[in-house]
Amino acid sequence: MNLSTSNATALIRARGLTKTFGSRTAVDAINFDVRDGEFFGFLGPNGAGKTTTMRMIAGVSPRTAGTLEIFGSDPDKDGPRIRGQLGVVHQQETLDQELTVRENLLIFGRFFGIERKEIAERADQLLELFQLSDRAKDQVEPLSGGMKRRLSIARSLINAPRVLMLDEPTTGLDPQARHLLWDALQRLKRSGTTIVLTTHYMDEAEQLCDRLVVMDQAKIVAEGSPRQLIEEHASREVLELRFPEGTSRISKETLDGIGDRYERLAERVIIGCENGEAAHARALEHGLTPESWLVRRSSLEDVFLRLTGRSLDE
Amino acid sequence: MSAAQIAPRRSRGLFSTIGAYLPHPTRWRHVVGYMVAVYRREWIGSVFSGFIEPLVVLAGLGIGLGVLVGDRAAEITGGVSYVTYIAPALMASQAMQFGAGEAAWPILGRIMWVRIYHAMVATPLKPTDIIVGAILFMGGKVAFAATFFAGVLLVAGIATSAGGALAMIGVSTLTGLAFAAPVTAFSVTQKTDQGFAIIFRLIITPLTFFSGTYFPIESLPSWAQLISWCTPLAHGVALARGLALGTEIPNAAAHVAVLAAWTIGGTVIASILFRRRMLK
Repeated sequence: MNLSTSNATALIRARGLTKTFGSRTAVDAINFDVRDGEFFGFLGPNGAGKTTTMRMIAGVSPRTAGTLEIFGSDPDKDGPRIRGQLGVVHQQETLDQELTVRENLLIFGRFFGIERKEIAERADQLLELFQLSDRAKDQVEPLSGGMKRRLSIARSLINAPRVLMLDEPTTGLDPQARHLLWDALQRLKRSGTTIVLTTHYMDEAEQLCDRLVVMDQAKIVAEGSPRQLIEEHASREVLELRFPEGTSRISKETLDGIGDRYERLAERVIIGCENGEAAHARALEHGLTPESWLVRRSSLEDVFLRLTGRSLDE
Repeated sequence: MSAAQIAPRRSRGLFSTIGAYLPHPTRWRHVVGYMVAVYRREWIGSVFSGFIEPLVVLAGLGIGLGVLVGDRAAEITGGVSYVTYIAPALMASQAMQFGAGEAAWPILGRIMWVRIYHAMVATPLKPTDIIVGAILFMGGKVAFAATFFAGVLLVAGIATSAGGALAMIGVSTLTGLAFAAPVTAFSVTQKTDQGFAIIFRLIITPLTFFSGTYFPIESLPSWAQLISWCTPLAHGVALARGLALGTEIPNAAAHVAVLAAWTIGGTVIASILFRRRMLK
């Protein structure tokens, strides 16, 4: 694996990072660097070890083995100082429902020991940035899911963190709220904040991340930019054939030669190829009679499928 | 990288371990500040109940029971009326109920439902800072309620001096803390609120009856007396009653020491258990 010793400063550096809970290994000797100013992603299915890795970085989960450096320090020893420079957004809501939108920011800033005046100024800027100014005096409880998520992110930025960590930031949001959030995160990135996120959405990783690692079963199975990963691990186009009656009776010989490679799922056969239309013609010649078919460009989902032999939502 | 190359995590030294459990000298203040901000929304309601509750308790139990006890009161009270005898004890008992209640649902709720503690441990705050701040705030809330109770007792002539009434606020606060701290230690280990029913039905409520509130502890069998003196309420009652009546309190320092021991012991255990729960 490429240990990426680039010239850019690594803000987070993990080597052999391992976490076990009893006999279960949640994170198995992973290596990665997060560089200053980049948008870095952990992509993988639920249970791959993404959240545990995030918790170790945030200094709220002591590692079992390996080394971990954040801003050059060990989170086991320098936890409070490191956490003072991190912003953390949890997967589940952690806002105080009994306080107003603005109060949530004001109170949280105090936990970092920031002066009230400075917090107040920053809170107003953040409410503006996340389009929450007109709800500043409202209670948190009636806000929509998308607004609550934006408030969570605004709150995590109250200490002007060097690194913002987002655990599954758009899970459970409707498409419009997702796009609003993506825009806000892009603006943040342009302003120089380093962002680390976990996601099990391919399109999210593709849209946002400069670089990402693919995690599966506690290990990192690939690393690179979304473009690199697709070029390395997937073909240009993908032909999807759908068989509602199941794919188990289709023989290997029938599938060979249609494209560069194929993956057989329960009701679908996914064929990686240079030209999807041509591959479809060959599939018909081989005697396949799919109920429906489509041709699309390769995505990270295909990379994941290729690397693990499973689809992400399985 | 092969497994052999992975550096095992160095275990902490003793001092570093103890350091992890010690509160930061000042950061717990921000936790108190947070609790006060939440409380600001409901304090008017608690002022109202702060006045009403002691009046209801005194009228219902003191006057009602007092009539029932009648002339026999002097036998157990040493001369004062029954209402005068139980009123300061009820003040300590209210502090117990209040302290324990504040340490139950509000603590578990912030772990399980509101989940704000998960956000707080991701800041420079240590778990111990959160526990110390939360327990100190509970003490403040108990003191607030006790102030009303003491005021009512003073106006009613049950508390014989302003100084005594002031000291009773202190004693009630310490009694509240002596329950708030160990109940917090219990709360941080819970996954549902079902355990609270056991705590309140089997421990808190019975303690009211066996701590000298309504009748002297000396009328209990000696083994029961021993159990009573191991729990905080008996000590709070003994102190509050002596202060109200202006009588001499034997072993006053020992009573205070037991209350302080429950407070400090409970806070230490709560900090350890809370840290274990939050930092996995």
